[in-house]
Amino acid sequence: MTFDQILGHKRQKEILNRALANGRLAHAYLFAGPDGIGKRLMAMALARAIVCEEQRGCGNCLACRKIDHQNHPDLHILEPDGKAIKIEQIRAFQRELNLKPLEAPRKICMIEQADTMTVGAANALLKTLEEPRGDTLLVLLSSQPNRLLETIRSRCQPLPFNRHPKSRIQAELEKQLGIASEESHVLAALSEGSFKKAFGKDRDLYLEQRRDLLKTLTGLSSGSILPTLDFADQLAADKTVLPDILEIFQAFYRDVLMTLQGRGDEELVNLDLKEKIHRVSAREDVSTILAKLEALVEVRHQLDRNVNRQLAMEVLLLKLAA
Amino acid sequence: MAYLVLARKWRPQNFTDLIGQEHVSQTLANAIRSGRIHHAFLFTGARGVGKTSAARILAKALNCDEGLSDQPCGICSSCTEITAGQGLDVIEVDGASNTGVDDVRELRENIRYLPNRSRYKIFIIDEVHMLSTNAFNALLKTLEEPPEHAKFIFATTEPHKIPVTILSRCQRFDFRKIPLARVASRMREISDAEQLTISDRSLSLVARQGEGSMRDALSTLDQVIAFSGEQVDDEAVQTLLGMVDRRLLLDTVEAVLQRDSRRALDAVRRVDQLGLALRRFTQDLLEMFRGMVICKVVEDPAEMLDLVGEELKELKALAEEASLDDLQRIVTLLMKTQTELVNSSFPLLTLEMSLVRLATLAPTQDLAKLISHIESLEKRLGSTPLPKPQHPAQRPTPNPTPTPTARPAPAPAPAPTTPNPSPDPPPKKPEAPVATSTESKGWQGLVDQVKQSRPMLGSVLEHGRLLKLELPVIEVGYTKGSFMSSQLQEPDISQDLEVLTTEYFGQPVKLRVLAVDIEQQSAAPPSLVEEREAKETDRMRRLREDAMEHPALKSVQDIFKGEIKKVIPIDKGFV
Repeated sequence: MTFDQILGHKRQKEILNRALANGRLAHAYLFAGPDGIGKRLMAMALARAIVCEEQRGCGNCLACRKIDHQNHPDLHILEPDGKAIKIEQIRAFQRELNLKPLEAPRKICMIEQADTMTVGAANALLKTLEEPRGDTLLVLLSSQPNRLLETIRSRCQPLPFNRHPKSRIQAELEKQLGIASEESHVLAALSEGSFKKAFGKDRDLYLEQRRDLLKTLTGLSSGSILPTLDFADQLAADKTVLPDILEIFQAFYRDVLMTLQGRGDEELVNLDLKEKIHRVSAREDVSTILAKLEALVEVRHQLDRNVNRQLAMEVLLLKLAA
Repeated sequence: MAYLVLARKWRPQNFTDLIGQEHVSQTLANAIRSGRIHHAFLFTGARGVGKTSAARILAKALNCDEGLSDQPCGICSSCTEITAGQGLDVIEVDGASNTGVDDVRELRENIRYLPNRSRYKIFIIDEVHMLSTNAFNALLKTLEEPPEHAKFIFATTEPHKIPVTILSRCQRFDFRKIPLARVASRMREISDAEQLTISDRSLSLVARQGEGSMRDALSTLDQVIAFSGEQVDDEAVQTLLGMVDRRLLLDTVEAVLQRDSRRALDAVRRVDQLGLALRRFTQDLLEMFRGMVICKVVEDPAEMLDLVGEELKELKALAEEASLDDLQRIVTLLMKTQTELVNSSFPLLTLEMSLVRLATLAPTQDLAKLISHIESLEKRLGSTPLPKPQHPAQRPTPNPTPTPTARPAPAPAPAPTTPNPSPDPPPKKPEAPVATSTESKGWQGLVDQVKQSRPMLGSVLEHGRLLKLELPVIEVGYTKGSFMSSQLQEPDISQDLEVLTTEYFGQPVKLRVLAVDIEQQSAAPPSLVEEREAKETDRMRRLREDAMEHPALKSVQDIFKGEIKKVIPIDKGFV
């Protein structure tokens, strides 16, 4: 992957290209930005541009191909071992750094999910990060840069990455998956500007079942409790899709909130359910919607803490149907 | 040699370069000049303020070939070696990577040997807070009395993690954060030397990013240079730093203050379209509101906010519109939003929700105003004749029947065996001046209420003899010199009691404690406890009589030839 093949991030590309051209590449970068927007691709492209025999990351030469296959001897990739990057990994890597690069002009080290470094690991990295031996390039990738130690952050040149605009994701979804614009709109709106999220969504759930789910949800009333409990039962049954379903609910109520605030339709997520949204917004007001959204946020918290799913769903639905 | 980032390239090489830390450099320079050099130093302070640099400068000063001086020459072989990090006698240890006790033992092995060619053997341990406890302890003896040729310099950002035994053996220097102006002026020097064109405004923006850390500021400057080359224009700096356009922020703030949720959502949409980080936006928004709070409470906020001219004026104008309470509420809510954004699965929604909430917040009423309002209402009510505060829930006698004899209502209920319960009030002193003036508000009621909130105080009162109850004066008698009377005379207790009585009677009451002589006791009215006891014995007598008369008991006596030893009433609570 060369820089050109990466979608968006024009400014970041420019910065890196210019630094490459002027020989002003810093020894440590921190690529910060949400998950799945291309930080790693960018780091790989940078690595290729450095090792490439033709100095441009051609993708054809041996060095570039080695980078692509991740078996270049001078490219070190540190990833979380289990949940965290541990101090042993850092130490092993530091031993590597004592050696001269084998093929490339400089050694390149990528630390993925750098925020998962343990405190010990992060501290052990400090001196290396400040003044690495020889000619080393360190690239830290992180979606949660605030979780890194201040001392780590201060030693890197920050390179923030922005989310992709919805339109770009939508266009890409349509191009690559060949789905209709209404559907791609839903996926793109829920992707938070991350390609990974947009493509990773369970399309059947988000596109097909969504309507049914929302239909049942809006059909609930506080008068008859049995359908509510049945629905809770149904929701609680599958642990894996539950977060996604809650996200769909959240998106729906957000749409209602937006409509209540008199926002235009183009901001809605569920473009295809306009009538339903308008119908619901007619019988709600801002405070009740906010209460419902709050309930949804709360239940997600609770699910993270392993509460009884069925109970949580029942409580949630009673609140939503109220 | 590859490109060096500015922070490394411009690492201070002597004490004069070390800006913002004059208190450290001067102390060290004086120590060197006077030859009173401690053997162990601890440098602490935030990141990027010059700890490691100071350690290296100190090492150079101590080992300079030109002689011990506070101005290391920087050209002798010793100085250049230290700068390059190759000094034989200056050993820089990464404390975070060599944390174990074995590493320290190795160091102790080393320390015995004389320096190769310099005056001192200097051990710089950076990030020393990561050493293990054992490692620290292994250092203790060496650190206390190292050989004459050894010097230790420790540097850390987290001094609280260092054992006190280590701290007490070191001379500690706390490095301060560097003031914005100093950072900016140093960056001006550097950028001139690097032949950069950059405006003062941009420089101060970049410097502010550092938050008092030189390295952070220089990293950011590097970033700016990487983006825009040697000619830096202001706009590029703004976009690069991911700064939310000030206009957009002001718009949002205005929308929130004017409770225009529609406009606030508009702002979120623009942020979203620009692809800006929502957390950053929230952060900036929070900072704006913080600035407004400061504008409200501080006379001259310019220094505290690091803002000048236009920006400050705008902020002040906005602050005029809002009340302090509102602003504080907004700040609190935004802080909550900020933490929520971290774990939110739908951050856009989180932000939208919180902005809608902010914009629909009901304006707060100033608490002081509310209170004064209530007070004026009270006064107005007070002038009309219904001043009796009601304590229906606490009143033990639900229907205030003015019994001149003040028969306490919760008197022990009649025993089950008693056919006609307590026909007559127990004999008591008729002259007891009981609760005639305040009708329902009798002495008994007061004691009951005091008992509810302060049981001990209540029981003290129970033992008192009510001598006089003519509001606003109550006189209570106690046996002369008794414990109870001395208790009641203690200032804080009597104060408490005053409050309680005032509350009960709804008017200020003067409670006087009088001493009663033992001889007079028979003349004085009985205390509540005595009354109760009298009643109790009375009741017992009647119970016994009733029990004796009972036919079942009689037949038992007849059949078994029994004898009645004791009559025990079934617990009166249940009869």
